[in-house]
Amino acid sequence: MSALFGTKYFGFILSAYGITTAVLVVLTLWILVVHRSRLQKLAELEKAGMKRAGRSNG
Amino acid sequence: MATDSIPKPSGLTALANPTRFLALVKAILPYLAVITIALLAAGLWMGFSVPDDYQQGRTVRIMFVHVPSVWMAMGAYMVMVSGALGVLVWRHPLADVAARSAAPIGAAFTFLGLATGSIWGRPMWGTWWVWDARLTSFLVLLIIYLGLIALWNAVEEPAKSARMAAVVVLVGALNIPIIRFSVEWFTTLHQGPSVVRAGGPSLAPHFLYPLLVMGLAFLMLFITLHLMAMRNEILRRQIRTAQRKAARSHRGGANQEGQS
Repeated sequence: MSALFGTKYFGFILSAYGITTAVLVVLTLWILVVHRSRLQKLAELEKAGMKRAGRSNG
Repeated sequence: MATDSIPKPSGLTALANPTRFLALVKAILPYLAVITIALLAAGLWMGFSVPDDYQQGRTVRIMFVHVPSVWMAMGAYMVMVSGALGVLVWRHPLADVAARSAAPIGAAFTFLGLATGSIWGRPMWGTWWVWDARLTSFLVLLIIYLGLIALWNAVEEPAKSARMAAVVVLVGALNIPIIRFSVEWFTTLHQGPSVVRAGGPSLAPHFLYPLLVMGLAFLMLFITLHLMAMRNEILRRQIRTAQRKAARSHRGGANQEGQS
């Protein structure tokens, strides 16, 4: 680890990369979780008899 | 009239159809994800292979996440500006979807720009924060992002919220050149431009190339996340339409029962 981050500023460099990784991973997971929950919600609505807006009613 | 004579939609017009847009996103997302991961891996490897800077030592490595975050924070805002113009001028159905979906991603990159800049500033400047023109205008960008997210969520009627947000986005765009040129217009603690500047980049090639690769990786990450977020926004609108339809048919059924 010290080869990557050095010893003098280890905490600063690790913090910068750590916070970047954490924020981007959380953002990606949040988008994926929202996608899954919305697909589930649409499936429930379709099951209840509602069709998607983009599909024809005929 | 023969149906052959009707021109088929192409380009942005074709993508106005959400079903077609969703199909396109589904097809290209895996490729975008692979390219993003490969570029991130290459950029990190290159970034951690650079020698120490003669002034900043090993902290120069913070640049490879700080600068791309700042680029994407401003890039995401420009996507919102395009979306705002699409709403107000061309009335493209996906314009508000694109603008609204870019906001949380832009806010995340702005937060990262501020956080990593602060972490870098402490050992180099001796302070976590200073109220100079660059840092303050960048904090204003985060506040604009958060305000816009609140506005989109506060106004229920989609067309109204789209128009209101588009106007705010265009007014807020005045902050982008202020951020960009603040280091030239004002005396700031922040260093001047070192990549996009007259006379070419002032960075040594062994710092510049990893920075450009990381910049490209963050751009691909932004495009990937933005398309995923746009897909979510389209689904949210489809759910809303379906729920309204359900509520209407429920009310219609209740009225018929009441009349009989």
